[in-house]
Amino acid sequence: MKKFFHLDKGAWIEFGLATVLMIVNVILALHLPYYTEHKRYYESNAYVVVLIGAFVLYVLTLFKGKKKSTNDIAVVLFGFFLLWEVSYKVGWVHNDLLIPSPEGLFHVFIEKGPEISKDVWGSIQLLFWGFLLAVVFGTVLGLLAGWIPRVREVLLPISNVITLIPPLMFSAYMIMILTTFRQAAIAVIFFAVFWPTFQGTVQRVGQIDPQITQAARTMGVGTFGMLRKVIFPYCLPGILMSLSKSLRGAFMCLAGAEMLGVNLGIGYFIEKYKSFADYRCVLAGIVTVGVVTTVIDLAVNKLKKSLIHWEY
Amino acid sequence: MSELQVNTEEKTEYKIEIRNVSFDYVQSKSKYEALREIDLNVKAGEFICILGASGCGKSTLLSLLSGLNRPKSGEILVDGKKIKGPGTDRAVVFQQYSLFPWLTVKGNVLFGIKQSGKKLGRKERNALAEKYVESVGLSAAKGRYPSQLSGGMKQRVAVARALALESDVLLLDEPFGAIDPKLRLELQELVSKLCTEHKKTVVFITHDVDEAILLADRIVVMEPGRIKSIHKVSMPHPRVREELVGTTEYEKLHRQLIMAFYDQVAERIDAGVAL
Repeated sequence: MKKFFHLDKGAWIEFGLATVLMIVNVILALHLPYYTEHKRYYESNAYVVVLIGAFVLYVLTLFKGKKKSTNDIAVVLFGFFLLWEVSYKVGWVHNDLLIPSPEGLFHVFIEKGPEISKDVWGSIQLLFWGFLLAVVFGTVLGLLAGWIPRVREVLLPISNVITLIPPLMFSAYMIMILTTFRQAAIAVIFFAVFWPTFQGTVQRVGQIDPQITQAARTMGVGTFGMLRKVIFPYCLPGILMSLSKSLRGAFMCLAGAEMLGVNLGIGYFIEKYKSFADYRCVLAGIVTVGVVTTVIDLAVNKLKKSLIHWEY
Repeated sequence: MSELQVNTEEKTEYKIEIRNVSFDYVQSKSKYEALREIDLNVKAGEFICILGASGCGKSTLLSLLSGLNRPKSGEILVDGKKIKGPGTDRAVVFQQYSLFPWLTVKGNVLFGIKQSGKKLGRKERNALAEKYVESVGLSAAKGRYPSQLSGGMKQRVAVARALALESDVLLLDEPFGAIDPKLRLELQELVSKLCTEHKKTVVFITHDVDEAILLADRIVVMEPGRIKSIHKVSMPHPRVREELVGTTEYEKLHRQLIMAFYDQVAERIDAGVAL
């Protein structure tokens, strides 16, 4: 509480500006009629809820007092929303088929809420299995190859060639050899994550300080004890660090994988409404991907912080 | 029969026997002879300092004793058994950076206890770890990670972890080389005390003449590739630096060592000039 009220003068002004932007925006959304007739999205106040939700999040972040940029981000964000809103209400933008109004966009989440949540859940399942398998196998094989030169000399050249092939290129073949589209989608995500994880782990094992492994050897640690008790924990922060990076890779592939013909998933949602030329839903799908990715990314970072208490 | 007797006698007399050991570093085509036909015996409970300038092969000798490297020829026996690789019968303290960064002070010591192969319950292990942490004076910092420790504290932990292995033999490779002189003295006294307490047979590598005199029962001066001379230090333990300095025995020994030490350095500088 103290910190919040001890914002300096500039920060208070910025906070005030962001608040004013938000309030003007809410009033416009609630009371000012559209310049053109776009009444059809008017039934819900989803947009107002989003604005107020964003504002609450902003105040909470400010309350925690962690980052100095919070105010700047809020001003830019609410400014952008206001500009978007105003351009509709004043009539700068007419074609709301290609560029939907903010009300129209966020109304999709009310209109198609169950569908979106079902699709998000479907995507997360695909992602989870592909990602989990890839990280486990990639890390285990990477540790082995990193520590045992003979394994490395076989696997590393192979992986160097394979990583150059975009994983989506496998997709057509995957559909042929795997029984369901779901499996094919999981396989594509697997290959998108597996090889980078493998290579990253090999590299990290190679960078381990030889004094550490020597010390372990003088304490009678054998090959597999070394992998389990020394090399794995030593490499763990690096592995977790690369998780969020490979997660992004997995998301990229997810959309592609879902176009393989899976009838579930947020990529499928976007693809479907694209072919219906309903760009309002396409944009809503894109926003959803952004939100879900961010939430997963934050969760991974949280996991990293709770697991790693040490530095090198 | 008589041969057997001789053998057992040897076993009881020497803890470590270095017999005719040579070692080369091979780098692509060039070969560098690091050690040439070294012979040295260490009695049980003896504290040996190996003194030499950098590049004389003293760290190589320690790596052979630890088992991280194998001699090209000759053999090293511990308790009459030939060394075949690293083992928990010999604990090693390295110059620096050998603590496990993901484990706390206590965790590092626990690692040593677990590796010692003793069958202990969780509580006993913990108690033992606390004991060793306390013996190096770090009880207050037992929950800290190595990155949060100063250099001197890190080496204290390394010593505690080595002690936790409960081996008879302790090998130290210039453990205090990177630590400032005042702290170094504290650590030297600590190691001297702990090694006497735990009756360790110690091989301690150093390039510091004073450190060697303070700690050793015998000082082995090395010149590149071989042993130059061995000096016995008969002053009683525990030794206190201030009390040593100024005594005739200390001065005499110090002079001898400096002569042996700098003689070889001078030779090498001459050789360099000649080149």
